[in-house]
Amino acid sequence: MGRFTRRSILKGSALIASGAIIGQGLPMAAFAQEPLGSQLIGPLEGPEIVLDPARFPTSFAEAPALAERVASGDLPPVSERVGQDPLVVAPLHEIGIYGGTLRKGFVGPSDQWSGVRIGGHDTVLAMDYSNTRVMPNIAKAFEWSDDGLVLTLSLRRGMKWSDGHPFTTDDFLFWYEDIYSYADLTASPHAQMSINGKPITMEKVDDLTVRYVCPEPYPLLPELLAGAGVMGFGHAQYGRTLQGGFAPAHYMKQFHPKYTPQEEVDAAAAEAGFDNWQALFKFKIDWAINLEVPSVTAWKPATPANTPTWRLERNPYSIYVDTAGNQLPYIDDIVMTLAENLEVLNLRAVAGEFDYQERHIDLSKLPVLIENQERGNYSVHLDPGAYGGDFLIRPNLTFPADTDAEIAKWLTSVEFRRALSLGIERDQLNETFWLGIGTPGSPIPEVENAYYPGDGYRTLWHTYDPDQANQILDGLGLTQKDGEGFRMRTDGAGRLRFEFMTFAGMFLPFTQIAEMVAAQWRAIGIEANVVEVERGLGSNRVSGNEYQLWAWSNDTTETLFTAIHALPISTSPASQNPLMGLWYDTNGEQGVAPPERIQEAMALYRQGASVPPEERGELGKAIWKTIVEDVVQIGCVGLSPALMGVRVVNNRLGNAPQRQFNSTVVRTPGGSLPETFFWKA
Amino acid sequence: MLSYILRRLLLALGTAWAISVLAFIIIQLPPGDYITTYIAQLAADGTTVSDAEAAALREQYGLDQPIYVQYAKWMGQVMRGNYGMSMEWGRPVADLIGERLWLTVAVAIAAIIFTWILALPIGVYSAVRRYSLGDYVFTVIGFLGLAIPNFLLALALMYFGYVFFSANIGGLFSPELVDAPWSGAKLWDLIQHLPVPAIVLGVAGTAEMIRVMRANLLDELNKPYVKTARARGLAESRVILKYPVRVALNPFVSTIGYLFPYIVSGSIIVSLVLGLPTVGPLLLRALLAQDMFLAGAIVLMLGIMTVIGTLISDLLLMWVDPRIRMGAR
Repeated sequence: MGRFTRRSILKGSALIASGAIIGQGLPMAAFAQEPLGSQLIGPLEGPEIVLDPARFPTSFAEAPALAERVASGDLPPVSERVGQDPLVVAPLHEIGIYGGTLRKGFVGPSDQWSGVRIGGHDTVLAMDYSNTRVMPNIAKAFEWSDDGLVLTLSLRRGMKWSDGHPFTTDDFLFWYEDIYSYADLTASPHAQMSINGKPITMEKVDDLTVRYVCPEPYPLLPELLAGAGVMGFGHAQYGRTLQGGFAPAHYMKQFHPKYTPQEEVDAAAAEAGFDNWQALFKFKIDWAINLEVPSVTAWKPATPANTPTWRLERNPYSIYVDTAGNQLPYIDDIVMTLAENLEVLNLRAVAGEFDYQERHIDLSKLPVLIENQERGNYSVHLDPGAYGGDFLIRPNLTFPADTDAEIAKWLTSVEFRRALSLGIERDQLNETFWLGIGTPGSPIPEVENAYYPGDGYRTLWHTYDPDQANQILDGLGLTQKDGEGFRMRTDGAGRLRFEFMTFAGMFLPFTQIAEMVAAQWRAIGIEANVVEVERGLGSNRVSGNEYQLWAWSNDTTETLFTAIHALPISTSPASQNPLMGLWYDTNGEQGVAPPERIQEAMALYRQGASVPPEERGELGKAIWKTIVEDVVQIGCVGLSPALMGVRVVNNRLGNAPQRQFNSTVVRTPGGSLPETFFWKA
Repeated sequence: MLSYILRRLLLALGTAWAISVLAFIIIQLPPGDYITTYIAQLAADGTTVSDAEAAALREQYGLDQPIYVQYAKWMGQVMRGNYGMSMEWGRPVADLIGERLWLTVAVAIAAIIFTWILALPIGVYSAVRRYSLGDYVFTVIGFLGLAIPNFLLALALMYFGYVFFSANIGGLFSPELVDAPWSGAKLWDLIQHLPVPAIVLGVAGTAEMIRVMRANLLDELNKPYVKTARARGLAESRVILKYPVRVALNPFVSTIGYLFPYIVSGSIIVSLVLGLPTVGPLLLRALLAQDMFLAGAIVLMLGIMTVIGTLISDLLLMWVDPRIRMGAR
């Protein structure tokens, strides 16, 4: 038993007992008595970005391999490479030592995030590890003008791209003028590069100062630059979609017809096997695929992501240093091995073949992971998400009445949606698919969230009460039932039957969960046919306004005012009702007008981008209240580690946090600054 | 004779062309295209793409053109030996397939050898000792092998391989050798990793082959020439192996052609589960992502392999069986 007590994450004797039970291979039911999850969730912690100049180091040290290259004249000295304003980090526990390799898994070229999150979080600004404060990252500092219209970014003196070329304002302006504003590369302006429909512009002040000029106050902008929202900002992940916010001008100009004759870029594209220069440009700017493109990430790819092993090596020009002046990262290489499927990836984690893996780990593998901790020399940590819906149901609020008036009538009825919600036994879902670790209830975020509307809203219309649900449905006039107990349509066309769409290949078994919900709805006489579709087809159905009920998750809604998954405010096929998004985008000129209450919530949402952060709290609460009261989405289970929150950490890895904030916004584990991880001697 | 071969060759060419057209159409059939998949993928990560951008992307990839134009463009490239660029991987299709093809062949050959080594002796034994205890035991085991889904066996073998032998999970190489250049050590590493996929892939085929061998041989065993041989006092092993087994092998030889496509396509699911870097998982992904050129090239390759295999089968049969040879004239 002693072996368990060494682990700080496994607190309390009750868990030691359950740990032993797992070890003996007894059935999963053992978990139900003891909330296993709560024992594996440690305190949220992370490294500190040092802003106080008094704590800045005055001399610098570097990895032995780089020191050799300096000695041979291959590289300039470290103090020149980090520049005069390096980003100073106080590691979570201790100053580390150089060397070693970090092993991870990834699933192919479309899985760029795997590499970006661990080694390439190069957003202009960044959220701190707890996702509460905007901190400097690539830029040194930001400042609003008094009128709130001009955001000034200061860059770091002496900062360089990974090829040694200076990193300056020109790299921002090249992106703004020659990529973002260049019609042949960017077809339409981006919603988040504008406020209330009016575009913001970028200006060069000097080599190290760049300004964002907003036509109206846009207090949300720093958070967007820190990586929240759908506009990425960061060359490593968003270079390839041309949304990075900056780009290596000195390198990319040779592929751009504005700087290189059209015939030459066309010929270069043809020679490389691309159909046109744009395709070549996108290939060349792609951090994960093109090893030549300079970057400002702490590690940079040494083998591309479209090969079986994706390896990142340290960037000699990394701007990150610790408080003792050691240039970060400590760890030399990150090696990610291609898994042809997720089962293999999970089994490799069980076998201890990964040193720090949270992405793609399946919550249902938790018992096996725990069972093999000792043998694989790793510990399991859980990092629950801060958003309320790992699995929620989106009713189509714009379902066309000319397709099926009856279905449209019920989907747009608040009363009917409440009944559907009351017909779901969330505890059963939670026990079956989340091992009891999730939180059943409405889609609202965690209690600590600035927009948490209050305790009553977790359960309002989101408890299991089939009697009340039946009363509501009877009251709506759905009183006729067929021989099997299902309610009949009121237009006399047989049984009332909904199509319930799920996507294949999500982080949770969406289809199976939906099947269980459908089975639970039998008790309230509602039939739902679960239809699993391939994602591309699903997106088409959403864009075509053809779905009825749709299972999804609402990750990113913890940062409500940059998220598209709370209110239908986006035209993206990932959004609940793109037609309402269109209505919102065009100020009511096109699309479908939402019900009045949602319109009011949308107005608050719009207002949120224009008011300072401290005033956003009340707006956000009001928005969530509307969503819950009108059951805009039917929440099921959330606040769990199911999406990228089951983390396997090698026991020898230093400075790894017990809990990290799990969110795309902080580029988890990017917010924990893997640059500070190291191998203990 | 010569005209027959010529006719067969022409027919094969025509078939290959038809396959290329069909492949292209079938891959296009599902709604959406690579851009749809790409956008859905981005959406999952929180990035949105506007309709205007989507249209621009389609234009860039040439997906806005009618299907016959796309086909003509593709075929024009293929004729010049250029299989195009994979949309998802951003690499030439020929490179992607090339690096996986030899491993695919290695896995398939290992599986075939495993099957034959196991199935032929057992088949012979089962026929000669019909209704004996051994016959029943092998039959039961064989049918179990046939009944267990490949992927399940693969998963179980992988897990127990780790638990009991601390084997690497999935793949065909140890992690440290994946990117190493070919060497004796790497080859040895590959050979050590081959048994599991060979067993998983071979088990089902083994059962089938045992039954075929057994049935074929039973037909032969009662024929007069066997009795004659026995009457002449030949040793029993010689009686069995020299004549009836040889005859019973005929159907195997004539289906050798079908092995070509099997080498690539037979292992898709198992390769996926075992994480083998073979062509199968590549094809599946390409189809899911509607990565036209990659999927098209693989399907075309499979088709041509089948055509060549059938051609070889036909020629073999013609050579073996005079009745076909005569009929062809």
